[in-house]
Amino acid sequence: MEKLLLIILLVLFPLSGNAKDAKSIIKNAIDKYRGETSYSEVEMIIHRKSWQRSMVMKVWTKGLDNSLVRIISPKKDAGSGNLLKDDKMWSYTPKINRVIKIPSSMSNQSWMGSDFSNNDIARADDIIDHYVHKLLKEEIKGDHTIFHIESTPTEEAPVVWGKEVLQIRDDDVILEHAFYDQDGELIKKLSTLEIKEFSGRAIPAIQRMQKTDSEGEWTEIRIHVADYSVKIPTRTFTLTNLRNPR
Amino acid sequence: MGSIFKLAWRNIWRNTRRTILTMCAIGFGASLIVFSVGLQLGQYDLMISGSTKIYQGLVQVQKEGYLDDARMRDSIPNAQALGDEIRKLSGIKDITVRANGFALVSSEERTYGVAVAGVEPEHEDGVSIIPGLIKTGKYLSDNDAQEIVIGASLAKNLKITVGDELTIMGSGRDGSIAATILPVVGIFESGSRELDRSLVQIPIDTFQDAFSMEEHAHAIVIYHKDANLAEPLKLQLQTLVSKRQQQLVALTWDEIQPGIKESIELDYSSGWVMYIVLVAVITFSIMNTFLMSVLERTREFGIMLALGFKPFNIGKLVMMEAFILTLLALVIGTLIGIAVNYYFLINGLTFEGMEEIAAQYNMPATITPQISLESSLLGPLVILIFTLLAALYPAMKIRKLEPVEAMRHI
Repeated sequence: MEKLLLIILLVLFPLSGNAKDAKSIIKNAIDKYRGETSYSEVEMIIHRKSWQRSMVMKVWTKGLDNSLVRIISPKKDAGSGNLLKDDKMWSYTPKINRVIKIPSSMSNQSWMGSDFSNNDIARADDIIDHYVHKLLKEEIKGDHTIFHIESTPTEEAPVVWGKEVLQIRDDDVILEHAFYDQDGELIKKLSTLEIKEFSGRAIPAIQRMQKTDSEGEWTEIRIHVADYSVKIPTRTFTLTNLRNPR
Repeated sequence: MGSIFKLAWRNIWRNTRRTILTMCAIGFGASLIVFSVGLQLGQYDLMISGSTKIYQGLVQVQKEGYLDDARMRDSIPNAQALGDEIRKLSGIKDITVRANGFALVSSEERTYGVAVAGVEPEHEDGVSIIPGLIKTGKYLSDNDAQEIVIGASLAKNLKITVGDELTIMGSGRDGSIAATILPVVGIFESGSRELDRSLVQIPIDTFQDAFSMEEHAHAIVIYHKDANLAEPLKLQLQTLVSKRQQQLVALTWDEIQPGIKESIELDYSSGWVMYIVLVAVITFSIMNTFLMSVLERTREFGIMLALGFKPFNIGKLVMMEAFILTLLALVIGTLIGIAVNYYFLINGLTFEGMEEIAAQYNMPATITPQISLESSLLGPLVILIFTLLAALYPAMKIRKLEPVEAMRHI
């Protein structure tokens, strides 16, 4: 009897269909940004009230689980890098020629002194599997439709956020990604400032991460070059390769 | 005045048993309060010295804003030179300069995030007890030695011992990657869980090198064992560093660790709620005694009034009796209280389960009461005021007596 009631309810209110849509919108956007494989040159600008620092790095990715970041400037840090593989993260610097595995307890620490956390970098795709998604509204702006999606982590999700709200354009470009804590307070927001085409795809070329409680302080990621058609061998994403900056 | 005193003194001893019983109540209350307040204040002393002498010092000079949000950028330029200057100008020896950072330390097997302090080995000794708490190995030798000392729990977690190498990786002051490899020369055990698990110390020059600090550091730490000197020291230092015009501030231990002072204040005021209840109980029992002694002497007061005594003077007499009795009892009670405090000051007081609680505040497991003006006199003074207020009521009653009617009273 109860089962029957449930079936009737499901037929009358097909919530699940809606949720699946929201999920696939997010998945498509992340897939598009990361690509099956990608190579890019990215500048990271860390802006603080009294100073600013800029780093340029090369980034290789394959699927959602493999990525390698290598710093090329400033000179002082050139050759240092990060390897991400299946949610694990290693750091290398030629200064001491050692690799350190970043413990998972450090996942909310800042990544290279920026406003991004290690988690933001390593587990960007957690949002697909560990969250429940709800389409808040569809907004039509110019030629595009913008989907507003609220993603709430499930009980066992390994995250600190209470919810995340994304704005995704109909061509799979993430326009905004806001992070809220358990009390529903906005903690930080990633906004897309500029969209460019790389390898024929529209990609957020300039994104800015800003924490709510520190005005005038932000981190910007600017994509200078991006290539989604390159073939990247699997051995790129190994500790041996992390240790050997070519 | 003299005759009233004489009269009061005689009156008190007309009923010896009652007087002694009343004095016992007051005296016992007084010694109890003296002992408890002494114990409480003694415990606070331990909490304060626990928090200051292990590592934090009594007063620190920092860059403005560093306390709220420990950013590496908010540092003191030419810190070691300033440290030397303060040593010379203030005459205090126990001053050390520290630079602080956060880094991952990694052994062959494991990695942990820890606080890294760059310290002046030769000056650290007088300010912090950590150099004296090295369990194995030795403390850092020189400002530019390639050495590291770490806490015992961290050593256990990293599965390393003296002689092993540690890799340190973090962010430098300019945001660049700070990295170095140092051999562990010593392992300290401070008893503070936090420090033993998450503090490593390296020589200051080595720190400045690795973390791109140039000549900067984050704190100049001053230690003195007398916590009462914190405020004057702060003022002296503030004037001294203000001359530099580098937005430097002097901070006392309770500004650096506000939690300790807050918990002391909370504990002290909740203690006083108890004492006030105790004093109130004593007061009512005394009021009863005074009232009885006045009521049963109605006839006597009537005769005195008839003889020409003014009601005011009789009131004064009753107040004087109360005052003498209370004061006598308080002196004896307070002396007993101080004696008990003195006994425990010499022998120490400890009870079961104390050790665990004490460890949280970096305190030893034995409490020694404090003997001071505050601990010895504040409680008795409060009792004195309350008992005199209690005596006021019976004394006022006398003013309403009519001589003839009173004399007929049995």
